[in-house]
Amino acid sequence: MPIIEIRALTVKYARRKLAALNQLSLDVQQGETVLLLGPSGSGKSTLALTLNGLLPQAVGELREGQVRVTGLDTQEHSVADLAQQVGILFQDPDAQFATLKVEDEIVFGLENLGHDPAGMDARIQQVLTDVGVLALRDRPVSALSGGEKQRVALASLLAMQPEILVFDEPTANLDSMGTQQVFALLAELKSRGKHTLVLIEHKLDELMHLIDRVVVLNPQGGILADGPPRLVFDEHGPALQELGVWMPQVAVLAHELRRRGVELSLFPITLGEAVRAFRPWVANATPAAQQPARSSQAAPALEVKQLSFAYGHLQALQDVSVKINKGDFLAIVGANGAGKTTLAKHLMGIIPPPAGSIALHGEEFTSIPAKQLARRIGYVFQNPEHQFVTETVWDEVAYGLRVMQEPEDIIARKTQELLETFGLWRYAKANPFTLSYGEKRRLSVASMLALGQDVLILDEPTFGQDERNATALLDILRGLNQQGKTVIVITHDMRLVLENANRVVAMSAGKVLFDGAPAELAGMPQLLSDARLTLPPLARLSALLATEHPHLRNVLTMTDYIALSQ
Amino acid sequence: MQTLYQPHDSFLHRLNPLSKLLVALPQMALMLLASEPWTPLAFVTLISLTLLVLGRVKLGRFLRLLGPLLMLVLFFTALYPFLVRQSLVADTPLLWALGPVKLYQGGLYIALVTGVRILGVLISSLPFSLTTDSADFVRALVQQARLPYRIGYSTLAAFRFIPMLQSEMSVVHAAHRVRGVDSQPGWRGKLEQLRRSAVPLLTTAIRQAERTALAMDARAFGAHSHRTYFRRMRFSHWDWVYLLGYWALGALILLGLRSLGLLGPLHVLQIL
Repeated sequence: MPIIEIRALTVKYARRKLAALNQLSLDVQQGETVLLLGPSGSGKSTLALTLNGLLPQAVGELREGQVRVTGLDTQEHSVADLAQQVGILFQDPDAQFATLKVEDEIVFGLENLGHDPAGMDARIQQVLTDVGVLALRDRPVSALSGGEKQRVALASLLAMQPEILVFDEPTANLDSMGTQQVFALLAELKSRGKHTLVLIEHKLDELMHLIDRVVVLNPQGGILADGPPRLVFDEHGPALQELGVWMPQVAVLAHELRRRGVELSLFPITLGEAVRAFRPWVANATPAAQQPARSSQAAPALEVKQLSFAYGHLQALQDVSVKINKGDFLAIVGANGAGKTTLAKHLMGIIPPPAGSIALHGEEFTSIPAKQLARRIGYVFQNPEHQFVTETVWDEVAYGLRVMQEPEDIIARKTQELLETFGLWRYAKANPFTLSYGEKRRLSVASMLALGQDVLILDEPTFGQDERNATALLDILRGLNQQGKTVIVITHDMRLVLENANRVVAMSAGKVLFDGAPAELAGMPQLLSDARLTLPPLARLSALLATEHPHLRNVLTMTDYIALSQ
Repeated sequence: MQTLYQPHDSFLHRLNPLSKLLVALPQMALMLLASEPWTPLAFVTLISLTLLVLGRVKLGRFLRLLGPLLMLVLFFTALYPFLVRQSLVADTPLLWALGPVKLYQGGLYIALVTGVRILGVLISSLPFSLTTDSADFVRALVQQARLPYRIGYSTLAAFRFIPMLQSEMSVVHAAHRVRGVDSQPGWRGKLEQLRRSAVPLLTTAIRQAERTALAMDARAFGAHSHRTYFRRMRFSHWDWVYLLGYWALGALILLGLRSLGLLGPLHVLQIL
């Protein structure tokens, strides 16, 4: 008997016209590890919530069909009963804690179920050891890093001894080190073989060796594809790309090459397989002529000189000097807490820099009035909602122009232009808060560009977006950069850096560790690990292939690989 | 949330939060009702000794906490004589005058008394707040004071929202400044700013609350009318010793003051 049985399930949320899940049927066998994929809004998280009865018992409406886990009907058994069968690890590490201390958090579920306190100490020891954070037992949860929080949250689920574990984008809010910690934990759970695992995740290359089966949802909330990973990515790859579903990068590369007539002996889904699959082809491919490094114009747009800053006792920036040239596409990278955002806040005057430490086009920063600054530098915050100040999409873009007291006809023309460029024209009358996440992102960029600023700073522009939205936004940024605008992105996404930036500044503990070309940084493993950065899958692939074929050393992105094939 | 609590092992730390609260509350009432400086002064001394000896609070930390409180009291005492209704004190000697501003001896005395009483009220809470973990307090309220556990634990969960909302607020303000939002002077501008920040803040808070609620439901929160506790709070004989001992000592102090003729009447109107 399957451990999860879903029959013709249709789920709807109040005030939504369309069903979130539509006549969906799915069986999962005990011990399987299933990866659940789909474009944003296809109902992945909704499906997760149906597994422990939260849907329909806490949210949503189950219109039709049936869900059974370990033989229990989720509409007939309480969430409390189901919690002992199914544990869900959510995306936001902060929002899933109920108490203030690690130990309290672990026993929270057991106490709610009325377990005997006598057995709890042993259970705490056991689960904290299982997730490798026994030393954190007496800590307050607020003092943990993102990766540690997710481990503790998982331990608190394991304490209730569920057979099924569901992971709903557990690494979406983590930096690369936290992500590695969570992945290591997944690998260990898998090797112990006690649980059935259902995974929603989009950083796939490092996970594929754990996955037994891939289920892809379609935008209508039904199933698009279901099968072993190699088969799904091989046969449905083009359709998935079309929908903006994340795929392992090596699988995307395989499709790109196949489209160009390259025959592969094996369709690769992991790095190891990719090395074997691509090796014969790489041996014969000659690298494209090195493109001359895009030279930015020599005049500095922004110059930071020996800037230091501390939040109380915490030294956030230490003697930072960076020259950002006009026309640069500059990435500032580093782990959480490295000082990236603090630096960027100085560049926008959100934290007023000391006199003489920053110059904008050679002009002393502190002597530029705040209003002038907003006209010359645009800053896009990580959460687009923070920036919204009006009630319609149109007003949102027009706002900055009105502040600058532009004539009405110019405001109307520029606003329309921007809304059309960013694909938001049809929402002109909508409230910004009702847009989808990707649309909100685009709107926040559009509203920042209305004044024609020539420097644009973006904080984590691809955070929380699906492949298609992320790509669309980066295309826009590259276009702006080609028009001569200086673009500065703060990110820990090294793929974004290698594919787009012409310069990268790597920071760690408030200091600049590296300032130079992205390709150069990619070739410095020690420095990358000091700055707690990990290379994207394709760059790691070329590092592996380069041991035999040194000419691959500078092949770092999809574009580089495709250039090889021609 | 930032609280004054520092984990440590001491007699006060080991007590049930409720016994500390039952000592602090009547004391605060007494300070509010006192009409002369001696009672508050005697209790301020008692509280300080309790903190240093029974709570093993380091002298340096105690002084650092006391410093700002003393400043506040001094500021108040300096200002207060000029705010007292002159007819109340006009029959006492005039100490100093500058035009219509007059300083009477009676006014100064009332100011001093009020200052010491405020100090007494503020510091009465310290033996509780410096040595009590907020989670233990909730546990004691639920286990001993029969507060419904759903209310207690929901409050605890809500505690965690405060720092999040504070940091959200500052980000929203920065974001609006970057958009070129000028804060207009006056209450209209303030109101407008509040309205603008309210929507993003509420959006975040509601989203966060929904997520936390789901995560708590998913761990059987509220499923049964009773739950068990790994950390059992007890009201031990030491709690009785502290509670009754402290009250007895307090009564002795009051009797002593009365026999010295220093204890004034206690009355409610004296509060302001």
